[in-house]
Amino acid sequence: MLRLLLSLALALPAVTAAQIASVKTDEVRAELVAHAPQGLVAGQPVWLGLAIEHAPHWHTYWKNPGDSGLPTTLNWQLPAGVTAGEIAWPTPTRLPVGPLVNYGYEGKLLLPVPVTLPADFKAEALDVKLSAQWLVCKDVCIPQQGEFALRVPAKASTAGHAAAFAAAWAAQPKDAATAARAELVDNAKALRVTIGGLPEAWRGKELAFFAEIAGVIEHAAKVTGRWDGATWQADVPISAQRFESPTQMHAVLTTPGVAAGTRVNLAIAGAWPALAAAATPALQSPADAAATPVATGAAPFGLAFALLFALVGGALLNLMPCVFPILSLKVLGFAGHAHSRRALVGGGIAYSAGVVLSFVALAGLLIALKSGGEQIGWGFQLQSPGFVAALAVLFTVIALNLAGLFEFGSILPSGAAALRLRHPMADSFLTGVLAVAVASPCTAPFMGAALGFAFTLPAAQALLVFATLGAGMALPYLAMCAWPGLARAMPKPGAWMATFKSVMAFPMLATVVWLTWVLGQQTGIDGAAALLGVLVALAFALWAWGRVDSERGARLAWNGIGVVLLGLSLAWALPTWREAQAAPATGDSTTWQPWSAERVAALQAEGRIVFVDFTAAWCVTCQVNKRTTLGDARLLAEVQTRKVALLRADWTRRDAAISNELARLGRNGVPVYAIYRPGQAAPTLLPELLTVQTVLNALAQESSP
Amino acid sequence: MMSMKKLVLSTLVAALPGVTLANAAVGQPAPAFSVTDTSGKTVSLADHKGKTVVLEWVNPGCPYVRKHYDSANMQATQKGAAGQGVVWLAVNSTHPSHYDYKKPAEMAAWMKSQNAAPTTTLMDSEGKIGRAYGARTTPHMYIVDAKGTLVYAGGIDDKPSSNPADVKTAKNHVNAALADLAAGKPVAQAATRPYGCSVKYSDG
Repeated sequence: MLRLLLSLALALPAVTAAQIASVKTDEVRAELVAHAPQGLVAGQPVWLGLAIEHAPHWHTYWKNPGDSGLPTTLNWQLPAGVTAGEIAWPTPTRLPVGPLVNYGYEGKLLLPVPVTLPADFKAEALDVKLSAQWLVCKDVCIPQQGEFALRVPAKASTAGHAAAFAAAWAAQPKDAATAARAELVDNAKALRVTIGGLPEAWRGKELAFFAEIAGVIEHAAKVTGRWDGATWQADVPISAQRFESPTQMHAVLTTPGVAAGTRVNLAIAGAWPALAAAATPALQSPADAAATPVATGAAPFGLAFALLFALVGGALLNLMPCVFPILSLKVLGFAGHAHSRRALVGGGIAYSAGVVLSFVALAGLLIALKSGGEQIGWGFQLQSPGFVAALAVLFTVIALNLAGLFEFGSILPSGAAALRLRHPMADSFLTGVLAVAVASPCTAPFMGAALGFAFTLPAAQALLVFATLGAGMALPYLAMCAWPGLARAMPKPGAWMATFKSVMAFPMLATVVWLTWVLGQQTGIDGAAALLGVLVALAFALWAWGRVDSERGARLAWNGIGVVLLGLSLAWALPTWREAQAAPATGDSTTWQPWSAERVAALQAEGRIVFVDFTAAWCVTCQVNKRTTLGDARLLAEVQTRKVALLRADWTRRDAAISNELARLGRNGVPVYAIYRPGQAAPTLLPELLTVQTVLNALAQESSP
Repeated sequence: MMSMKKLVLSTLVAALPGVTLANAAVGQPAPAFSVTDTSGKTVSLADHKGKTVVLEWVNPGCPYVRKHYDSANMQATQKGAAGQGVVWLAVNSTHPSHYDYKKPAEMAAWMKSQNAAPTTTLMDSEGKIGRAYGARTTPHMYIVDAKGTLVYAGGIDDKPSSNPADVKTAKNHVNAALADLAAGKPVAQAATRPYGCSVKYSDG
């Protein structure tokens, strides 16, 4: 009998009736019902619903059916102007099937749907047609469907199913009173949810967790929660075969014996790992390799390659625009120490140690933060306005010192100054630390791929990659120390050094201009102006402290004024350096549109080629490319003829969506230039030092498949 | 006594969800297995190392499986794969206690009657492979690449319905994944929604 039914189930709709409100099969009795106690009046409640009575042990499914099954779907046919809303799903129950778990309903069920009438609704009756599909299962499953029709009178009360509607509303999950939090923990193997505002009577009880979407959690897993006063916390296991990566997810919580669950809206913190295999990042196809000669050619490269890339990339860091001021500092260091071979080698080693340890420390911090679920990537330091301001202050101090406004010796406590003189090694070490602080945001060629790869490695290996990067950066300096021949090529010390020192103040000040601009992007013009105010007050204070006044009173007075000015300017500035609201002004917003993954997908669906510029104000390489290559007239003309959509993903401030996309591309920092083609999920990546010709070649390739 | 043991077992199972359905994950090595096919021959995943392997969970009693066989969609996908030198293992994890269970000879006969073209059909009656892969539905599709890495897990296509007419307009995820692999590219959509009847494991 069952077998016969099964074979019939697919071939025939269960019932195809012309004008009937109910359908009966061996498994369910389904009826189209209405509830309009005041008749049909616009603004008054009017509800339709599908009532399903299941035969014992048979069930139909919730909006998320769980491990198998499908939700019931309702397709309405209504007169013009009348609209039906979404199904107001009652709270589901867990339905275990062997090792699997489904979410659904047994017994009596009503799926209510709110109806909106137009303001000028005048008909005598509402003719409703419904085509419904449901999957009903016990140990076997039968897809069924029914065609229903119902006439609801306008002038009479329709309330014959009032009790069923009341029961369905009573079983509706209630929105939670307070916000809920969720974060990815344990390498995104679990979602830690923290929920307050649950009914008081639930405290201390075990709760069931129902995610409203199918592709995230392990439905069959038992969720063990902890109560902490009024707050419930639980680690909900994530499915190993997850196929969705939401940043937000609704869920319903229940406890046995209650009709209605509580519905919470979970904002999910933490970066989802890419859905595809992490071991084979979706970089590009071999056919595209020509467009990316160096940076990303080798997709699944091993640790040895990563180390080699890190070493070369680190050395090249010395030539990057944002490192140049620091390079000049080092040159000064050479000039100062060139007379003593021993001091030179010692300094070189101390500097290298400073560079390597700083890289390792930063990477360690980044790894720790990431495993804690923070959405950050390389260059994350410069996403904080406070850090940018601190760097600007540091560079100003160095510049004023180089320019001769004050001497460190006269303002540092004498103990510290003596320490600095007696320990030139410590000084070199700190120069190394300083170099890393400024160099780290520059993702040089080779570095992007190496860094992205590094974060897919176990922590120890990742740290090794970063240590190698530091070694690469320190290498040129160390080489000069090791081979005196190179060092001797440096000019002899002399009076020229004073001039050289003063001149070097200006690259420092230029760096301050850049940092001020970055801060302006992050916090707006107020923050930037406040920073300049602080710098002026700081300059005054340094000058005051550095004065050699014989008279004690005068010295105290100048110092006092310096402290007061600095205090005032900081009081003005600090509140403006909070993370900003103002959207960064990109200027050329007519051609460049803001990036979103959905936008890329939509444009791809339209058959357009999409060029995405992953950038940040604090990334100088990005800015150089933006002003030169991306602003090139020839390039823009080509973009126009090929109807290429230009999207800009601005990572100046933290942005989880951009971090996720970078991770998906196997990258961890900016710049990244990606060309998405219609019908292809994996984009082509272009080198970080972008030339017009590279982009033109890549675009030309796009059109010839 | 027996029911006591069963109770203890199911309690254990409820407490340790990892035991019930192991969590084969995309990007990780595919779980190894060794099982007899409908002709009684032992088949191991390791036998096919160096080749792409498709695993298809099948149960002739399931209307969603019928949707893809009656519309000849599954057979066409199998033949397309065979043409590319891909190994196709149909897996029946239905427990003998279940109504839908078919003996090896019956299962072979059904596949033949459908004009199906898998490399072979595996009898996973104890549900070991199904649990190792976390197979939830019939059909549920998996692809293992030549290196033995699980590169795809999910549905046969993107139209979760029982209506055979939807096959024409649906995107066949398995064909798309095999095309990506053939082009030497990573699978673009490596995890999708499986849909269909539940796999008929024991204790259900």
